[in-house]
Amino acid sequence: MVMYKALLYTQWKWARLIILLGTLAGFSLPLLSLQGAARADRGALQAQDLLRAVQSWGTLYPLLAAALGLLVAIATWTADHRGRHVHALTLPLPRWRYVLLRFAAGMTLLAVPIAAVSVGALLAAFTATIPSGLQAYPLALSLRFALAVLVAYAVFFAISAGTARTAGIILAVVAALVVVQVVASIANLQLDLIGTSQVVLLHGLGPLAVFTSRWMLVDV
Amino acid sequence: MTHAIEIERLQYRAGKAFAIQDLTLHVPSGSIYGFLGPNGSGKTTTIRLILGLLRALSGRITVLGDRMPDDHPRILERVGYVPEQPHLDPTLTVAELIRFQSAFYRRWDAQRAALLTKEFQLDEQRLFGRLSKGQKAKLMILLALAQRGDLLVLDEPTDGLDPVVRRDILAALITYVSESGATIFISSHLVHELERVCDWVAVMDEGRLVTELPLEKMKNGTKRLVIADAPAVINDAPFRILARESSNGSGETWVVSNWEPTMTSFFERIGASVRDVVDLDLEDGFVELLRSFRTGVR
Repeated sequence: MVMYKALLYTQWKWARLIILLGTLAGFSLPLLSLQGAARADRGALQAQDLLRAVQSWGTLYPLLAAALGLLVAIATWTADHRGRHVHALTLPLPRWRYVLLRFAAGMTLLAVPIAAVSVGALLAAFTATIPSGLQAYPLALSLRFALAVLVAYAVFFAISAGTARTAGIILAVVAALVVVQVVASIANLQLDLIGTSQVVLLHGLGPLAVFTSRWMLVDV
Repeated sequence: MTHAIEIERLQYRAGKAFAIQDLTLHVPSGSIYGFLGPNGSGKTTTIRLILGLLRALSGRITVLGDRMPDDHPRILERVGYVPEQPHLDPTLTVAELIRFQSAFYRRWDAQRAALLTKEFQLDEQRLFGRLSKGQKAKLMILLALAQRGDLLVLDEPTDGLDPVVRRDILAALITYVSESGATIFISSHLVHELERVCDWVAVMDEGRLVTELPLEKMKNGTKRLVIADAPAVINDAPFRILARESSNGSGETWVVSNWEPTMTSFFERIGASVRDVVDLDLEDGFVELLRSFRTGVR
């Protein structure tokens, strides 16, 4: 517990601005998305408008989740990268435990913007007058956001934990994909590698699918 | 004699350019062991192998009785380490770093940490990244000492520091050793500095061990001899000839190691005579050792 607290504190120092901005954005997003629903005189047509507005605001949740996951993951490892991991590797604990403590500390920090989204969503749902036939789903949205943040953080945490070589390999794979796609386009070949990769990664059965599902605070 | 560090036939390769070859080293418990060598000789790599930061290709490393890297958490609990380059989080203050470090060591000595903070005149609220080079070195020494380790591994801890800071650090180390009986393994290329504190020395060059012996033996046994009527070929010398040069006139100047005063009789047996025996300091001895190692004179 003492070690966890020590790591949590160092990570807080690196990530506090990200957490602060993420918390602000997370809290405001549900409120902003429902601001149009605050008036009580909504008819059927307004309900459709509202759904459209909520849907367009909804695209920002996965973006915020991905950005938070990415930035906090980078912040988690920055101090260690700067010291070439010498300090971390000479601490008297198994390396898997150190990684786990770092991960847990980062996730703890991310709980703050996740909580902000929950509070914002509950507040928005409570204060807005939802047109009949529609329903607010603040808890489902919060859970989805939490899951997306966890997935994004886990992926970027694993990538950032690696060496420059690991990052290079990942970049090389992406670059190779783009080059093959460009060559295929020039040669008029029916090949959509980027689209296929996107479908496999984001629309498949994997955890990344959470980013492409519907992010609706209010739905039918 | 028990050993704080035992290295047997260690092999390590870093790319094509550099390798640690067949390294065998024994660091006696309770000693201050100077690990000498020019830049790029393999000192830091050896230290990283000792601490489990690198994996050897073959060979065996035992630190404080446990195998490295298999038992690394248990070993590192008892080892204080000061690396060549500052490695701590630059966004943390002195006080925060002390608090951070104390969370990981069960034997943490908060009193010693407070005492050394005062002695070293460290500003507790200053960020590590804003400390001077000397202050950074002092803080890293403080953290290593407050761990109350049985072994301190210091990689060029005073390199590039002014004499006052160097003296403060060495004084703190000596006090710690006299109080705790710990072993210190200290690497440096500042030979004269180690001469003041060490009781054992090892010399590395090009990834290989040149020699390992008690400091006194190295200092007392390394001499410059002025020899008259020396034959061209010398066989079965009881000492090691590191260098042999013609001096002005008829004589020759030899630099030898493992010398003892009774060995003058050897020259009588071969029809030569010793005109003068000149003491060499550790730095001269070190330079001659390296020169002979590189030219292959054994």
